[in-house]
Amino acid sequence: MYRSLVVAAGAAALLAAALLTSLAVGAATLSPPELLLALTDPQHPVHVSALHVRLPRALLGAVAGAGLAAAGVLLQDALGNPVAGPELLGVSSGAAVVAATATVLHLPVPLQVLPLLSLAGALAAGLVVVLAVGPGSGPGASTRVVLVGAAVTAACGGVVVAVIGLGTEGDVVLLMRYLLGSLSARGWNDLAVVALGVVPALLAALLLTRSVAALRLGDHVATGLGVSVARVRLMALLVASLAAATVAAICGPVAYVALLAPHVARAAAGTTSTPLVLLVAAPVGSTLLVVADLASRTAFYPVEVPVGIATTLVGVPLLALLTLRGRPA
Amino acid sequence: MSRLLRAVLLVLSAASVAVGLVAAHLLVGRSELSAGEVVEVLTGRSDHGAARVIVLRYRLPRVLLGLGAGALLAMSGVLVQAVVRNPLAEPATTGVGSGAALGVVAATMLGFHATYAAALVGALGAGLLLLLLGRRSPAVAGILLGAVLAAVTALLLVVDSSPTSSVMRWLVGSLNARTAGDWSALWPWLATLPVAAWLLAPWMNAWALGAAQAISLGVPVRTTRVVVLVVAVVAAAVAIAAAGAVAFVGLVAPHVARLLVGSDHRLLVPVSAALGAVLLAGSDLIAFSVGIDLPGARDVAGVPVGAVTALLGAPVLVHLVRKELR
Repeated sequence: MYRSLVVAAGAAALLAAALLTSLAVGAATLSPPELLLALTDPQHPVHVSALHVRLPRALLGAVAGAGLAAAGVLLQDALGNPVAGPELLGVSSGAAVVAATATVLHLPVPLQVLPLLSLAGALAAGLVVVLAVGPGSGPGASTRVVLVGAAVTAACGGVVVAVIGLGTEGDVVLLMRYLLGSLSARGWNDLAVVALGVVPALLAALLLTRSVAALRLGDHVATGLGVSVARVRLMALLVASLAAATVAAICGPVAYVALLAPHVARAAAGTTSTPLVLLVAAPVGSTLLVVADLASRTAFYPVEVPVGIATTLVGVPLLALLTLRGRPA
Repeated sequence: MSRLLRAVLLVLSAASVAVGLVAAHLLVGRSELSAGEVVEVLTGRSDHGAARVIVLRYRLPRVLLGLGAGALLAMSGVLVQAVVRNPLAEPATTGVGSGAALGVVAATMLGFHATYAAALVGALGAGLLLLLLGRRSPAVAGILLGAVLAAVTALLLVVDSSPTSSVMRWLVGSLNARTAGDWSALWPWLATLPVAAWLLAPWMNAWALGAAQAISLGVPVRTTRVVVLVVAVVAAAVAIAAAGAVAFVGLVAPHVARLLVGSDHRLLVPVSAALGAVLLAGSDLIAFSVGIDLPGARDVAGVPVGAVTALLGAPVLVHLVRKELR
């Protein structure tokens, strides 16, 4: 318990440091006092870029990372599957269908409306999966989520592939960047959309953690403890969909953060208790995404790499360590 | 016996559909050629130079490539599903498609323009990596390997986006602008790999009963898994190098075949291959015919066959999963 709180505080401190670094480093690198001046003084030469480019981008990384981490914790514990992640819910592929269609077919959609349309696509895909799975319980429930999620993802992927096939070269280059996940050129509006989805989802996740923790004991024990298994699992899926869908709509599919943050949190805090893991995983997820974004915009400066590449290159080896140590599948 | 009979009938009817597809592919195109002219070219009695080039260098290789790559993809799907015992596994799950794309991008950036060779090297390299890293759990290892290779590809494309259009054809899967050279690189594999797969069928039947049963039947389990995986990966690699990572053919054809002839691999391998061949070449005919009439079709390289198989395959997959859930 105390260890978890200490680790959570440590992760929060790391997050603060990552945010500060992310604000300070860029085309013009600023010292902390200078940074403060730049943020507050409208006359300062980098005031606009600090306040309207770097600050919303860094905060977006933090909020999105926390939302993804919460989705990961809920999914992994509610489904009893350590490699569950929001890609199971099909949300990012739902968002990708909308983004691809609008980009390639040059639909006359205002730029401000496109994220909301993507959000609708993401939520629709998530709802299809959750509703198709139904409020079932029993040993088959997790398998059903995996199968239905894979089917919806593959179906959406098929549509994206078909649409990409129709695109011209410029459209496809543009689209590929979105399809990899990116925090580039996101402003206060985008941050507001993500926060509107993620903050309620985080609160709901906190309320759900005790019941979700009971699910980890097995459906029978959970029922015996007075937990309504089917309803809790459905709620967990819905909350995870909300968090993951808002992030996917704005940032694209940022791979592996939702999968990794809970694992890192469990290892660092030395606990598998769902509430404590959520408490640690949220700042860990934020830190992961902020650092990955920092790395992806500075590593090949001035070229920006989509942040999804950075999270994949870090995430896959760690995931391989976590999964391939077990028995043959 | 009825299953054997049904399998034979299926293969025969697939063969006749394939003949029809070849005829359709030879006759449909931007240049109007009459059936008589095509027959003259095929029998070697034509002295019409342009017609000879169109038929022998473009149209015939394209349909043969579609049939061959479809057969290899479907066969690879059967083998991969047998090895990992997961009905949702397919050739793409092995990561070789991402390897092919990475090969093309890397070669284009280094200034080589032998894209077919680059795709083949990349695909086989990914297959080799999978065999080295993923002996214990090929399904997970394949997905992870594919993710890493795709990320590296994307990273290279961010640094230099010029190969994007050429690599799309491998990412989506397309038979547009394939020529006789591509066919001559594919047919030796087509002559050998299906035979190997069919010879492995009794082993796969035993393995399907479970590891313990397979051992008690005297099947060398470890060797079998590795050999089947090698054949599956090589088949996927040569097919993807030729046609790109065409979606769903390697997944849908084995499932349909299983519905029709049951799960005996001695029947499953040939029937899946026949269905996959017809499926890919037929989808390519649709893609090609749609592409001709599309507004602005001359600006883009034509509709890729991968788009058609994706649109046709997705509902089939959803149906399969729904059935699985009952």
